[in-house]
Amino acid sequence: MSTIVDADTLLAIDVGSVNTRASLFDVVDGRYRFVATGRSASTADYPVADIGEGIRLALERVQGVTGRRLIDESDSLIVPASADGSGTDVFVATASAGPSLRTIMVGLMPGVSIESARRLATGTYLNVLDEIGLTDRRREEEQIDLLLRAKPDLILLVGGTDGGANESVLRMVDLVAVAASLFPEGEVPRVVYAGNRQLSAAVADRLGDQLPLVLTPNVRPTLGTEDLAPARLRLAEVIGEVRSMRISGFEELRQWTGGNLMLTADAFGRVCRYLSQVYDPEKGVMGVDLGASHTTVAAAFAGDLRLTVCSDLGLGAALPGLLRHSSLEKVTRWLPIDIPDEYVQDYVYNKAHYPRSVPAETEEMHLEYALARQLIRSALFQARAGWPQGKDSESVLLMPPLEPIIASGGALARAPRPGLATLVLLDALQPTGVCTLILDPHNLSPALGAAAEPLPLVAVQVLGSGGFVSLGTVVAPIGRARQDRPVLKFRLDKEGTGDVVEDEVRFGQLVVLSLGQGEHGRLTLRPEQGFDLGFGGPGKAGALRVSGGAVGLIIDARGRPLQLARDGGRRRELNQKWLWDIGALH
Amino acid sequence: MGSAYLPPVSHVLPLAIIRRERRLPLAGAVAVRINQKVMASDVVAEGEAPPRHVFLDLARGLGVPVHEVGRYLRSQRGDALEAGEVLAGPAGMGRRTVRAPSDGIVVSISNGRLLFRMHSGVLELKAGFPATVVGTDGVQTVLLETTGALIQGMWGNGNNDFGVMRVVGDGPGDRLQTDRLDADLRGAILVAGICDHPAPLHQATGISARGIVLGGLASELIPVAARLPYPVIVTTGFGPLPLDNPTFNLLSSNAGREVALDARKYNPSDGSRPEVIIPLPPTSEADLPEDVIPLKEGVRVRLARPPYHGSVGVVREMLARAVDYPSGILARSARVDLDGVGLTIVPVDNLEVLQ
Repeated sequence: MSTIVDADTLLAIDVGSVNTRASLFDVVDGRYRFVATGRSASTADYPVADIGEGIRLALERVQGVTGRRLIDESDSLIVPASADGSGTDVFVATASAGPSLRTIMVGLMPGVSIESARRLATGTYLNVLDEIGLTDRRREEEQIDLLLRAKPDLILLVGGTDGGANESVLRMVDLVAVAASLFPEGEVPRVVYAGNRQLSAAVADRLGDQLPLVLTPNVRPTLGTEDLAPARLRLAEVIGEVRSMRISGFEELRQWTGGNLMLTADAFGRVCRYLSQVYDPEKGVMGVDLGASHTTVAAAFAGDLRLTVCSDLGLGAALPGLLRHSSLEKVTRWLPIDIPDEYVQDYVYNKAHYPRSVPAETEEMHLEYALARQLIRSALFQARAGWPQGKDSESVLLMPPLEPIIASGGALARAPRPGLATLVLLDALQPTGVCTLILDPHNLSPALGAAAEPLPLVAVQVLGSGGFVSLGTVVAPIGRARQDRPVLKFRLDKEGTGDVVEDEVRFGQLVVLSLGQGEHGRLTLRPEQGFDLGFGGPGKAGALRVSGGAVGLIIDARGRPLQLARDGGRRRELNQKWLWDIGALH
Repeated sequence: MGSAYLPPVSHVLPLAIIRRERRLPLAGAVAVRINQKVMASDVVAEGEAPPRHVFLDLARGLGVPVHEVGRYLRSQRGDALEAGEVLAGPAGMGRRTVRAPSDGIVVSISNGRLLFRMHSGVLELKAGFPATVVGTDGVQTVLLETTGALIQGMWGNGNNDFGVMRVVGDGPGDRLQTDRLDADLRGAILVAGICDHPAPLHQATGISARGIVLGGLASELIPVAARLPYPVIVTTGFGPLPLDNPTFNLLSSNAGREVALDARKYNPSDGSRPEVIIPLPPTSEADLPEDVIPLKEGVRVRLARPPYHGSVGVVREMLARAVDYPSGILARSARVDLDGVGLTIVPVDNLEVLQ
């Protein structure tokens, strides 16, 4: 495989639960550019049950579009690229297909090690079935029966600070050891131990002979510190191993990557973390991936990544999970038309059974994107619980400053108009201050994250190229006022043309100014007292250079936090108006 | 491009060879042999139900220090005991003993404690439908085969049963209503179009119905249906959706026959789905159903989304260009000749093959 110096072509595969994508990047004028993508239905599930088929079809589509041969006669990937222009120099792959691992968490204290384990679990593809802890009221034998009946793929064992609790941790280890001896052959789970590091040898001694054991550094080395990264890496390997055992094609894909097959969420998180080190250090970078089986929220603040994978929130098979997090009213509040609750609930269950299906009618489209908003909001709510203090929802009700926000996922990518994707993101995320919304319609982010190690420049270069769609710059003042009261005055001096636009924006308005993709302007903002744009406090004015996008420059003066009208009719009327205002409708 | 698209497949087949695996949760004993004919209610394998465990504090029970427990042990790891048999003791002046709390097995003895696996009873695995045994591993799985009609559903409540099938109502869209569920239907498997109220589901319990096959079920009734003692299978979807015509015709033409309902939950990993099996006399014309059917001209399909949700038709043309829909969505599409509707264009992602 080539190094960064001579690597030219990058081929990336992402195997999702519904779609498999192959994306090709090449160097043009010394910069990485997105060339083409090929999409096919994923084939991880029955009856094909081999991801290789979906990969082959996706690669064939890239070959069809580019004319570049990527697979040789023996169905092997051509790496490195050959002189005749076939093959690729660098190949990376990511995968999220396959069920989340059934997991039982075993730890000590609910507020300490188990809390860290929860954050670890929510950052990847684990389905936590139950937790066993020191304060558990169930008898020991009931805990053993629980472990046996749950038939877990994984036991995540945590507890104790390094050099701290010994006996209590070993008591939990012994519990797992007893259960381990009782699992039927072929159903023995893997154990990942991420507790008191001084006990690793003792844990290995007690468990190592009975089940596959992975030892990782403590997720809670001291009471006040948490270190999830090493355990996350090892968990990714375990998830990959389990999936390889269950679904054909994973092993071959892993071999193609030289053993570096990444989880899609990890790669998505990595690109956000990388960008947070490149962009404004005062602001975070956020990525939202609304998938069919998971919703991933990645937030990175100056290199500190907080990754949340919601395995029960997705716009496909995972959709019924939304009803455990949200009421139907929280879904229907986003609708511009009146749709009965029972229809919404039927829709949820039907869509879950046919995750690939798409809304052909206008009413269904509105419903699909109302669900999308609430899925993202629910995922964001979970994610923010794990954000650093001062940025989490407990300390700040409002979103912290972010730049940029990257959104991906099938539903957002196929939004009929960029305005609809934009409004979904504005409603669901409610960004504050000034930020850029970027849509990843080809789901390239995981590829860039996976490629960040061999090709560090690729993420920044491709982000600015044609593969991503800048929806526009959003100006969203924090504050509230009565309807139609002035919120801010603005002046936009467009670069190149000399055009100037000046006006006043009133509360409740969603204003879109024409500023196309690739266009820039100088924006001067003068908020009224009580409205904060991040220029140093409420009422403070400021000016900055802004970029345009597929929608334009968006001034969202609907208030932060956004409060929708209580009256259903009025609320729907406003939802409809905002759809028109932002250009989301035909 | 279109020929490579593999949509989901639902089987609605008047005649097919049907092979199904029956599997114990834990290894046990298979009670049948290859080529043996079995009835629906025949037990094909037996095993132990998932056991419960209990820790017995021997030191405390005997009233002796932990290090002395070994002296009084009357059983060892692996021993099978009947309820009341002595595990340890007698010890001390009071001749204290610790006895087995139920039939079971000694799992381990350590630190003065004994882990005892209590026998939880026998789990009987029934055939579920009349069939011939065509394979077994001798301890856990049995492969059964029959010839018959097969109707796969999209949702099931996890139960299964076997009985005579009766159609309630006159058409594929008729609602299941309490006033139609009389004593004549006692013990029958019921076929109806739509259920949007819990009362008929409960009334069916009252007349000891052996199962219900529906076109559409209101999703708010999922929790109710999940608790019913009999199997419930939904074929078209959630909401006021009738049975599609091929399904209704197949079910109604077999009314009066004994049918098997296996309302297992859909599992995308292994493709297992809720289904109705109608055993029919063997014939050489039957084939194994196909599970991989590329979408192309001539293939029979069912719509999985509005408009025309649940309607059945035949693909007439795979369109080369993506089509713009009223929703604004641009989607790969097919021209389909829908029964009762005529030619219409639909997104291929909204189609399932009906074989």
